[in-house]
Formats: sequence, structure tokens, C-alpha cells
Amino acid sequence: MRRHSYLFSQLVRRELRRKYKGSTLGPVWYLVNPLVMMGAYTLMFDYILKSVTYPDYPIFLLAGLVVWTFFQQSLLAAAESLIDQGGLVRKARFPREAIPAASVAAQLGTFGAMLVLLIPLALALRGTLKPALLLLPVILALLFAFVLGIALIVAVLHAYFRDVAPILTAALLPWFFLTPIFFEPGHFDFVKHHAWARLLLEWVNPIAPFVQGFRTVLYYGRAPTPGQLVYVFAAAVIALGLGSLVFRQLEGDLAVVV
Amino acid sequence: MRRASLIEGLEPGEIVLRDATRAFNVRADQARTLKGVLLGRREPGPPPVPALQGVTVRIAPGETVGMVGRNGAGKTSTLRVLAGIVPLESGEAGCGGRVVSLLELAAGFSRDFSGRDNVYLQGALYGLDRSQINERIDKIIEFSELDSFIDIPVKTYSSGMFVRLGFAIAAHLDADVLLIDEVLAVGDEGFQRKCLRRISEQIAAGSTVVLVSHDAGAIERVCERVIVLDGGKVEFDGPTAEGLLHYHRLMGTERGGGESLRGGAPRTVNVEDVELRDGAGRPASVFRSGEAMQVRIGLRATEHVSEPQVVLEFRSQDGATVFRTETTAELGPDGTGELAYEVAQLRLLGGDYDLAVGAPELDRTVHFSIPRETVDLDGSWQVSERTR
Repeated sequence: MRRHSYLFSQLVRRELRRKYKGSTLGPVWYLVNPLVMMGAYTLMFDYILKSVTYPDYPIFLLAGLVVWTFFQQSLLAAAESLIDQGGLVRKARFPREAIPAASVAAQLGTFGAMLVLLIPLALALRGTLKPALLLLPVILALLFAFVLGIALIVAVLHAYFRDVAPILTAALLPWFFLTPIFFEPGHFDFVKHHAWARLLLEWVNPIAPFVQGFRTVLYYGRAPTPGQLVYVFAAAVIALGLGSLVFRQLEGDLAVVV
Repeated sequence: MRRASLIEGLEPGEIVLRDATRAFNVRADQARTLKGVLLGRREPGPPPVPALQGVTVRIAPGETVGMVGRNGAGKTSTLRVLAGIVPLESGEAGCGGRVVSLLELAAGFSRDFSGRDNVYLQGALYGLDRSQINERIDKIIEFSELDSFIDIPVKTYSSGMFVRLGFAIAAHLDADVLLIDEVLAVGDEGFQRKCLRRISEQIAAGSTVVLVSHDAGAIERVCERVIVLDGGKVEFDGPTAEGLLHYHRLMGTERGGGESLRGGAPRTVNVEDVELRDGAGRPASVFRSGEAMQVRIGLRATEHVSEPQVVLEFRSQDGATVFRTETTAELGPDGTGELAYEVAQLRLLGGDYDLAVGAPELDRTVHFSIPRETVDLDGSWQVSERTR
């Protein structure tokens, strides 16, 4: 793998350059999207509907949005990656997982920029510079592993079945609204009275514990529940393990299908 | 089905295929749809094409092997299997050391990046790191003849420039095994010669070379051994001259026509030299259609043979036999002899030709060409009645 670390860095560089090529503002655009969404949802929920109100709502919202945006953008980019880079796949023998992995790693650029913006703000406004903050890098590392695992599956499946990316795009929209990004599930009466709804919103959705765990640390200044920590750890390990397994099983004929 | 496997622990430059089998689905639309898979339905289409069927080949480090066969015979598939790009269905394959394939030379470039950036990316693809590429980049740029174009995005390149850069990169990776697919057919003549020269340098440096080409001349210049593939099977594996002859027969009309070319006793009469001369008796390699041609053949016998049979065959560039003739020669007491074949009027269409000579197994080939001339079909235009 070390032998190919230079290849990996080249692929990431290529991915980053490709994204920002030809735009004057370049990387700035990737901050605009989550910030616009933050503004829109703040306006909607905090001022107009007044249905869910949390103090410093933009911070609350943004803490969930950055995690979601990273998840969503990574999967969408990875899905097309092997087909986009078909020329490389057909040309030489190298570890194919480098391609989807590079497209996920390239998303870290945007993610990192958002975090640089968000974390000092959250710490200052929410006073969350507490020992629990030490868990933040752990959660982020597990999030990366989790997303990478899912991205490997999505990428290799899409290379064989071109329906995967459209299905994913369609699924991500309702998935976004079911993920506790602009609300806490416990906030709603319905959820309070129906245990299954809570189970669904907080545990069946695998990205939810990451969103909630991240926000618990950054917004509330608390450590996530042991349940959440175990969950994100297990989700990361299982996703990465399963992802590598599926990828390895299917990568053989990639040069034929892409 | 037995699971295919990769042979590990080969010497650098060694190539082994053992009972290698692989078939490909050919469909206009390669991608399967999820619906088709979920419904367990096989979309109608032609059956899989067997590209390799139980192919067993061993190539020693430093050997130069040509691979010939008709289109779809499995040559490119074999290269892809050897390059580790496509897996086998069953059997074993292995290639020792750094394998560089000159397949799809113009592919794998990032269009928005400069030629220089692409050199780094492609070098990395073959497992080189930055410093290793730094060492080579000047040579690569020089070889590619791109000069100042190297620093502009490759989307502005012509197809010839892509190929030149692609070859320049592949040729400077210090490959233990060089797999070359038909690439010499691209680029202008000067660059083709340069590529061949570079390949011979690599051969001299000890690289194993597998060359797939329809250009018998290139194979003859580069390779000492030829493998003829047909229908995914090895039809012939042996010395180049015999192999090419076998290939030409396969391609020509004489397929399956009697005499075996394989094995046999060591040749007792060798063709020492073949020379082509024009009507005025001057050595030549370019003839005009309708001109006279003289073929001078020098023979030497390794043991006593009184009247060896001599065969002469004209072949067009696609390998088809255009004309074949034979005679018996007379050798002097020292075992040498000379004879000539004279064509009064060489009535051939413009193009490249090979002339194979043997006694009687064809083992010498000389190349000649006939310039393509502009044809003047003088006529006149008339407006037809109906349009009036």
C-alpha cells in the first residue's frame, strides 16, 4: 500500500483540481452551499415556523449539516468515480480502491474548511471547550471510515449496475429529512410516545448517531452516550469491512465494465 | 469452475500462463441494469466470446515474443491478463517484476491537466514515486517531442501527441516486462522508427517484450519467437520466421492446406541472403507497378544436398499470399549456390509487400513497396435528362 501512496495523493490532487477548475472563487463555493442551507433552515424553523427552537440555532443546524454534507457528497462523488476514471482502470494494474477512496478524501477538503469555520464559532458561542471535545477527532475518524466503507460499495456497484447512482440520489433527499439535522428526535411529542419512531430516527438510520454524537460534543459540550459511541465504532468497522469485502469480490472485472 | 489465481514469486521478466481461460460478453451496452439482475433475466445477446481457452505459455526473462492472430483471436485479451488488468476465469497467470503495458496509449489522461502533470499521474499509476519520476521526466519530455506543449492542458493535444506522450512515459519506466499492443501503427513514420529503436534499447537492457501487431515486418525486426493465436488457442509457438509463415497461412486462403510447418528436422539448406534489384540491376526496395524485378537468392547447405527446393512467396501487408512459386536449385561442391527469379512486369497495386524465401521452409523475408500513385480517370460530367 505504501508503494501506492504517491498514486493516492496524485488521485486526490487530480480530484480536487478537477472540482475547482475554471471557477474564480474555487473552493469557496463548497462553503457556500452548506451556509445557504443553514441560512434557509434557520429562517424557516427559527423565525417562520417557530416549530423547533434551539439556542444558537445556526450552530445547531450547521453541526448536523457538515456531517451530512460530507456523507452525501462523498457517496455521490464515489458512485461515479470508477466510471469517470475508466481510462486509468483499463490501463494499468493498481489497487482500484484508490479511486473511490481518493474521491472521498477529496471531500475532506470541503469538510475541513467547514470545520475550521464552525468549531471556533461553536466553542465561543456555546462555551463547549470541555474535555468531551477530545472525542471529536475520534468521531470524525470513525465517520471517515464509515463513509469510505459505504463509498466503496456504492462505487463498485455503480460500475456494474448504472442504476445505483440515480437510486442513491433519489434516496438521499428523504434520508436527509429523516436524519436529525435540524431537530432532535426527542423534541416531538409523537416520537416521545412511540418508541419505534425514536428507534427509527436515532438508530436504524446509520448516519444519525454520527450526526448526534458530533453535535453532542460540539453543541452541548457533552460526551455522546456510550450507546452512541459503541454504535459509531461498530458502524465504522462494519462498513469498512463490508465495503472492502464487496469491493474485492467485484473489482476483478472492473476493466471490462467501466 | 476452478478459481483463477495469480502466480507469485516469478523472476523479474518471467511470464507464465497456465491453462488460462477467459471469455467476454460482447454487447453494445456493457453495463447490466439492476432490473435485469433482480429479475434474474439474461438479456438476449450473442454468447460470450472465448478470448483465451486453456492457453499455456512460458516466456523466459529477456525473451522477445510476437503475438499474432486474426482480429478477435485473443491477443489483446492475453496482454490484458498478463498486465493484471483483467482476471482469468480459470487457470493461472503471472508476470514477474514491473509490468508496463502499452495498451490504449492515449487513454487515462486527465484532460484539464498539463502534459507534465499527466506524466506524474501515469508514473504513479505504475507504482513510481515523485523522485523516481523526477529522474525521468526530462527524458520523457524529450522523447515525446512535445517541447513547450508539455505545460499546457492535454485537451488541446492532437491524437498523435497523446500517443507520443503515452509511449514516452511507458518507455521510460524501466519495465521488466513490456506489453505492446499494436501501438506502432500510430504516429508518423519517424516516430515509429524511434519507438522501435527505444524498444530495442529496452530489449538490450534485458526487458521481456511481448508485441502484438498485424505488422509482420515489425514483429520480424523485434521478435525472436512468435505465438500464433486463433480462437483463443495457441496455434503455433516457435521461431519467428516459421510463426509468421504459419500466421500468413492462417490468414490466407491456404488454411488447413496440407503441409505441416511445425517441428521437423533441422534445416539443411539456409537462405544466406536475399536481394531485390530493379530492371537496371541496381539494389532497390521501392518499385513502380509494371517495372521489372529481380530476386537474387544466396544459399548455403549445412550438409550434402544436391538439389534443394526453393520457395518464393509474395505477400501483401495484410498477410495474404499474392503469389507463390518454387523451383529446385543447384548447389556447388562447397555447398553454396545462387539463383535469381525475374519478374518482367511487377503488376501489383500500390502498397507494402513482403517477399518470403526459403529452402524450402520460408525463413527470410525482404520488404518492398510500390508507391501509391494518383489515378487519373478522365471523364466528363453530364446533366441527366430527368432534371431538365
